[in-house]
Amino acid sequence: MADTTPFSFGRRFGLMAVPLAKGFATIVVSTVVLIVLCAIFAPSAVTAGSLMGSLPFASVLAIVGLGQMLVVQQGGFDLSVPGSVSLAVVIATHMPNGNDAALMQAVLVAFGFALAAGVLNGVMVAYFRLNAIVATIGMNALLYSAVFAISGGVPRITTKALAAIAGGQTLGIPHSVIFALAVLIAVSFVLKKTVAGRRFEAIGANPLAARAAGLRVKPYQALAYVVAQLHYCLAGILIAGITREPTAFQGNSLLLPSVAVVVLAGTSLLGGRGFPISVVIAAFFLNQLSQFALSIGVPYSAQTIVQALALVFGIGVYSIDWTRRFKTTKQHSTEEENHENVEV
Amino acid sequence: MIALAEIVPVDRAEHMTATQAAKPLVRLSRVSKSFGAVRALSDVSVDIFAGEVHAILGENGAGKSTLMNIITGVLQPNTGTIEFEGRNVMPLSPESSSQLGIAISYQHPAILPDMTVLENLQVSLPARVFAGGRTDVIARRLLDDIGLHVALNARVETLTIAQKHLLELAKALAVDPKVLILDEPTAALDQDATDMLFQRVRKLKDAGTAVIYITHRLAELRQIADRVTVLRDGRHRGSMLARDITNRELLDLIVGRTLASAFPPKCADAAPQVNFAVRGLSGGKFTDVSFEVGRGQIIGIAGVEGNGQSDLMRALAGLQPSTGEIVMGGKPLAQRTLKDMAAYMPSDRHAEGLAADLTIRENATFAALDRFASAGVLSRRREVEEVRGVFNSLAVKATGLEARVGSLSGGNQQKVVMSRALLSEPAYILADEPTQGVDVGARFEIYRILREVSDAGTPVIVNSSDAAELEGLCDIVIVMSRGRVVETLRGNEITEARIVGAAVEADTQAHHIDEARRRADGFGARLRHFAQTDNATVIPLVVVAAALALFVAGQNENYLSAFNISNILILATALGFIALGQTIALLMGGIDLSVGPLAGFLVVIGSFFINDGNPASTMALGFVLMFGAAIVVGLINGVLIRFANFTPIAATLAMFIGLQGMSFVLRDGPGGYISFGVIDMLTWRVGPVPVAFVVMVALAIAFEVGLRRLRPGWQLRAVGSDEQAARRIGIRTDRTFVLGYVAVSVLTAVGAVMLMAQIGVGDPAQGVNYTLGSITAVVLGGTSLLGGRGTFVGSVLGAVLLTEVLNAVSFMGLSQSYQYGFQGLLILAAALIYTTARHRREA
Repeated sequence: MADTTPFSFGRRFGLMAVPLAKGFATIVVSTVVLIVLCAIFAPSAVTAGSLMGSLPFASVLAIVGLGQMLVVQQGGFDLSVPGSVSLAVVIATHMPNGNDAALMQAVLVAFGFALAAGVLNGVMVAYFRLNAIVATIGMNALLYSAVFAISGGVPRITTKALAAIAGGQTLGIPHSVIFALAVLIAVSFVLKKTVAGRRFEAIGANPLAARAAGLRVKPYQALAYVVAQLHYCLAGILIAGITREPTAFQGNSLLLPSVAVVVLAGTSLLGGRGFPISVVIAAFFLNQLSQFALSIGVPYSAQTIVQALALVFGIGVYSIDWTRRFKTTKQHSTEEENHENVEV
Repeated sequence: MIALAEIVPVDRAEHMTATQAAKPLVRLSRVSKSFGAVRALSDVSVDIFAGEVHAILGENGAGKSTLMNIITGVLQPNTGTIEFEGRNVMPLSPESSSQLGIAISYQHPAILPDMTVLENLQVSLPARVFAGGRTDVIARRLLDDIGLHVALNARVETLTIAQKHLLELAKALAVDPKVLILDEPTAALDQDATDMLFQRVRKLKDAGTAVIYITHRLAELRQIADRVTVLRDGRHRGSMLARDITNRELLDLIVGRTLASAFPPKCADAAPQVNFAVRGLSGGKFTDVSFEVGRGQIIGIAGVEGNGQSDLMRALAGLQPSTGEIVMGGKPLAQRTLKDMAAYMPSDRHAEGLAADLTIRENATFAALDRFASAGVLSRRREVEEVRGVFNSLAVKATGLEARVGSLSGGNQQKVVMSRALLSEPAYILADEPTQGVDVGARFEIYRILREVSDAGTPVIVNSSDAAELEGLCDIVIVMSRGRVVETLRGNEITEARIVGAAVEADTQAHHIDEARRRADGFGARLRHFAQTDNATVIPLVVVAAALALFVAGQNENYLSAFNISNILILATALGFIALGQTIALLMGGIDLSVGPLAGFLVVIGSFFINDGNPASTMALGFVLMFGAAIVVGLINGVLIRFANFTPIAATLAMFIGLQGMSFVLRDGPGGYISFGVIDMLTWRVGPVPVAFVVMVALAIAFEVGLRRLRPGWQLRAVGSDEQAARRIGIRTDRTFVLGYVAVSVLTAVGAVMLMAQIGVGDPAQGVNYTLGSITAVVLGGTSLLGGRGTFVGSVLGAVLLTEVLNAVSFMGLSQSYQYGFQGLLILAAALIYTTARHRREA
């Protein structure tokens, strides 16, 4: 019996401790297997040149995924990814219209919009108890309304400065990769090392327990949507720099992958602990999977099917944990106190 | 036992066995049931006789509910047999049990809050109950019999707790059961209702029904029971005729436990200085509670579970509002500071005490993180040191600080919760059932810690349904019954027998918040009732749609031309059919994001077959393939959600993207013109009105009627309203969900046929917007996102209104930006209005 052994302090702890194990191991092993498969069947997908071409997109996906992760951690779901990424793209290209001097201003405006959208999402979901799907679907439509108001649906060419900042390389490393790593470090540090981050994780893991322990749950739930929007905005600005002439619908293709990387990294869609490092690796994995599929001749149009299958696979891997979570939540819901139950 | 033959002549004995001591109707033999390592029932044998009221007595956790769940087939025993009328009926399922004539009234009613009283009766009861008469007349009689005077069309959610219990009783009584199980039926009832229930029970008994009556109250047992069985700790302590046993003897059987081990010594000071007091506190389920705690004293709250104790604890923790005074060190505390000052150890450790996802360390510290941080950044070293310190003093046994909290035993889990309470340095500690599910060894450590905390000057309040625990631990015990303090015991008065006695002998009346009975007559009342129905949104929608039409017509008179109206209606038809499907998903408490791409995908399929120049058989094949693909997609969605544990969003989002890819695989651009003949047929109009639109409206009305009048409709709403209750009343929930998602896809296929007529070509990029459109239409229509209530007619109106808005935008020459903007504003405004309106009603 585990009970009879006295308490021992011999184990190591830290960011890489036990809870990380399952999701982290799954995604790392999958990635390694994928690279090996690439090396055997599609060597062209793992050359330095092709990696330099695809890594920026993996980085953008990583940043969007980290944002989505925060929302999913609180048991939410953010369907406004396409609108907010597209809006950031459009603002970053249309406002300066090729003029480097106006870039800074455009970036600030983009973040201002993101902040407003995030606050609205957060207030609607956390305080007015709106269903997260409906709130963010509505917000997505509003964001697209702004996209069309600004751009009329027509693309414009990126400024040179932005192309250099977002699309350039330093010491052979694409800048977007550096951005993604910086965001990863920031998110990991705040989540794991600060009071606010640890409370955020506890609230996501069990809002009822957090409330019973006296924590204020709603502000943290709302905050998830705000910070997520800032992530999407940064991703959008990076896309504007990486792509020479980005379309007004650049964000559409990011919605499903953003959810898929969160799930592949091991965060339950019912909320709970977040795994920032795993999310970033999952973004690389998903991106590489597309490259692999292309190299072995799967048509470009079928890419989304590959992504959908990856998502289904990801959920399938963790579904054992899910069953347990489902059962515990169901057993304890008594009808008289159901009003505050967290919607899945 | 002495055989009858030994004391009376053989022929008389046979006669007696045949008449008086008849064969038992239900016989449970040597039944055992374990949950994991916990033995809920060991070797229990009980005989239930026809024409008798058989009371089952026992403390919380004695195994009464488990035994009942075995008789109703909800649980399967590990060993033992169940005989019914002498026949072995194992294995028993809820369905076969009710077929045998076993009916149960649950302690927590299995009712569906979003449905009306009448619908609850109809969905729970077999059709034969309503055969041979008008449904409403029969239902009215069922309710009158039990004294439940509420409108048949009242939503169950609006009933009081007592009325809900009466409804639950009415359902059990309606089937004229052979065996009727009543699980604490009077807990929420007032005296009149209790008397009426007892009359009904006596009548049933005289008619030969066997009644199993679970109760905590000896007074009730004396009024109603013929025979009594006592359970304790899952064991059968004895069965006898009620008249042969005194209350004293019964209490001994119920309690009868000697605690061998030593509790920590109690407070030595007879009259310590008071440091925590509660005066005239009232709240959720308790009224006028007062007590005082002196330094070094532990106060216990006792009573039969569900008599307001946990509400009191939650109010003291600041988790529920209350009125009255809570005084700490002479100063009254403000409501909002309670949360920060109290450390509350919840009774339901898994739901409220622990976060299973987090490690032991994280669980222990999440309420006290401030203490380990400088400028918001945590010091791992300080955190670990503090946790080690408290774990050592609490003797927590774990393999490491970073193990999952779920890997600990119940006792150690509770110590982790306790560590969190201590680390947060609270002003007072509230321990709700601190030793539930905790092994004996750990129990006494928990008692020791609570005593140490109390000795150190922190007030400790313990709620427990284990009277022996309170006897050993507490210096003062207040006993609650029906929300009031019925006895305050001190010092030597605190004995298990006095505590249990005070709780079970109390005859206080159920405490009722005044129920405002609505008068159910007059036009005003009917209007109020309509405003609460699911279809209430129809009127504002029609008004808004008409106002918008008039406004736009004022700007441009062509807007109301026959051509444009016809155009709007045709466009609304495709969206309307898809919205009807989405309504079903939302009614089940789910959502289907894949409808848009599915519609697009089906059009692409159709574009390969339904072309001019193809024979009719090829075109027919096209339609068959469209519907076949839809059914497959619906099945996949349903199976992923129900059997692979996907959330509806995850499953249908994956399907969304997958289907989009499939469309592009089939066609990389627009191609395959749809046959003009087919398009003409689909868009055939009478005057300005397309026939397809009329069909859709008729279908919506038919669905609306089916939703409220037919069993599949009730089942659909039942699973969305409360899945667990639906399962307890015998609905096959998995099948309902899967068929529901198939229905969503089939309706989407009908919408796709109309979409095909609109765009006239197989375009892989089309259709996606219908996901947003359909959700907007359904939300506008007023269907609840929480499941259980919705309206097909509202969804159709929502679809018309949305189409009208989009059409008006282009009519007034506004840009695409406005299309998105209006759609976003509409959905958010509707969701906000409906959500807040419903919250207010719940509050």
